[in-house]
Amino acid sequence: MSAGASSQSNITSRQSALRAWCALVAQSFQRHWRVRAMGWIALALLAIVVVWVALITERGAWNLADQRARRGAGTYRQEAERLRPANRYLAFGNVIRPQDDAPKEARGERLQAHEIPNPLNPTEDALRSLVLAVPKAVTDSDTFLREWGFVTYSRWVVHLLFVGFVLPLFTLAYASAAFGAERESRSLVWVMTRPIPRSAIYLAKFLGALPWCALFGLGGFVALCAVGGPHGREALVRYWPAAALAALAFAALFHLLGALFRRPVVVGLVYVFFFEAVVSALPGSLKLLSLSFYARSLMYNEAADAGYPVELLPAMAAAVTSKTAWWVLGSATVALTVAGAALFARIDYRDDL
Amino acid sequence: MNESALQPPLLLFEQVSKWYGSVLALNQVTLELTRGITGLVGANGAGKSTLLRMANGQLKPTMGRVSVRGVDAWDWRARRLVGYCPDLDAFYEDLSGRGFVWVMARLCGYTRRESTRRTEAVLERVGMRDRADRTLRGYSKGMRQRIKLAQAMLHDPELLILDEPLSGIDPIGRQELLELFQALAAQGKCLLISSHELEALEKLTNHVAIMARGRIAAVGTLQQIRDLLDDHPLSVRVDVPDPRAVARLLLALPDVLAVDVSPKLPGEPGVCVVVKARNPKRFFQQFGALVVEHALDVRRLEPLDESAHAILGYLLGGSGRT
Repeated sequence: MSAGASSQSNITSRQSALRAWCALVAQSFQRHWRVRAMGWIALALLAIVVVWVALITERGAWNLADQRARRGAGTYRQEAERLRPANRYLAFGNVIRPQDDAPKEARGERLQAHEIPNPLNPTEDALRSLVLAVPKAVTDSDTFLREWGFVTYSRWVVHLLFVGFVLPLFTLAYASAAFGAERESRSLVWVMTRPIPRSAIYLAKFLGALPWCALFGLGGFVALCAVGGPHGREALVRYWPAAALAALAFAALFHLLGALFRRPVVVGLVYVFFFEAVVSALPGSLKLLSLSFYARSLMYNEAADAGYPVELLPAMAAAVTSKTAWWVLGSATVALTVAGAALFARIDYRDDL
Repeated sequence: MNESALQPPLLLFEQVSKWYGSVLALNQVTLELTRGITGLVGANGAGKSTLLRMANGQLKPTMGRVSVRGVDAWDWRARRLVGYCPDLDAFYEDLSGRGFVWVMARLCGYTRRESTRRTEAVLERVGMRDRADRTLRGYSKGMRQRIKLAQAMLHDPELLILDEPLSGIDPIGRQELLELFQALAAQGKCLLISSHELEALEKLTNHVAIMARGRIAAVGTLQQIRDLLDDHPLSVRVDVPDPRAVARLLLALPDVLAVDVSPKLPGEPGVCVVVKARNPKRFFQQFGALVVEHALDVRRLEPLDESAHAILGYLLGGSGRT
């Protein structure tokens, strides 16, 4: 083996750390593809959410005029029509002189006390008619209905469902699995014993998981927007940069959890449902610790810049500026990745726990 | 020879301690390996796996230093000099044996072509070349061991760390692997092999490191360790019908230091002798001759010093298992 021994330096020189790192990025990406069970679970969750949004959209939930005003009442459009002065007077006449063949509404059965015309006091009657004509003006305004629909869609589907549920869960599933799945199967030892710096292993695993986080995070967003009708399509165009940046920040966070904890999914779920869901909705400055708050702020500002009535988003009254939100999300991504790489380079790898 | 003398030791542990929380796994371990095969033996929990994991940079010492050719074992560059065959049985189960070894070669930093060449070479060497296309989940324990061994040899490392490499291998396969280890050692490689299979290990090497309670209890050739043990007296209980007469005979033996007649011991009172002897191996030879010469009716013979008994068990055969 003298030949073998003498060729040791040649052998070593043929090994390239950069090449090994690139191979690890590719291998990490492929491992996610091979672990299909997780992908199927994520897809099933996404399918449930998409179907739910599609059903709501189909029922016209994003159009205020078609929504029921209150229990036992008609839609807002029907209510607005009923409150027009002519219809109120007609109903009032039917109360005074009931006609059996008149429609139910015209017989005055649904006329509230404040809706009853008062011809004996024309000033008060005019003012009351003016106020009660507002719903009609609103339901006849295409601009208002479109803006209300978009903001309502943004509030419930984008802010609550996507940012609060779909995006964190999908990024958690893939980012935490970069280390978590291999640690669980105890196969991480094969990577840890290769001649690659530990910080580079951390980074390679992150880059390998990132396309999957983007695919399922942003893919989920596209799917939710695709079934949201015109409002969904507009939300996609306006919010995708914020969704992409949030996906990146969540991926960095959950990758770090995957490297540090033996049960990263449990820790991640606790974070998503107790920290992100609760803390980001709390008044005060505690929400500044939540990543989703900054993603929502970006979306809020985007909608506000486009002239939408963002006051309808009550939880976002204290949104930070877009510049701040971009800076915080970007910095968090970099800081979490750098901190993760540094920590991972220092901790022992134990597969016997 | 001069060149190798100038080089730092291939594997060097310098006063290495490792704590897992409040548990001391390694205690002031100092060990130096340069070439050949070294067997690492010890009971479960003695610290063997911790030592092996430190040698390939999976664990960092709490105190002290581990180096490979002068490079800190924690440094990634040291792993270019070390091949590691773990004892755990975990793979990327969906890959074929060939695919797995090839991926490991790629992760060593080789080009695709070089990875393919090396993969075929090591598969040939471990006798798996014609059986490597099945998925790993369908492999027997022995085949999986061979694949683990193959990936450890991919980058032709100077130091091979093998944790229980013979586990699950059938007798024929075991013989093949023992020959392979000897061939690697003959090529100048250094092998550190942890094994419970002491009989197999004895066929492979006479250089062993014995671990007990996180310490290297002894290191060297079997003869050197036997010589060291000679300085440690051994207490042996001998049950005989006439203990006083036997005690007189025992005291005449040169290696007997003291005899205690009918001490308070568990069992039938008044029918035993506890003898303290130096050089246990020689004492047992002399005692055997005494029994034959005087036709002694020995009903029980039991070493009482458990730690010495354990070490003797390792070195003199015993059950062959720790």
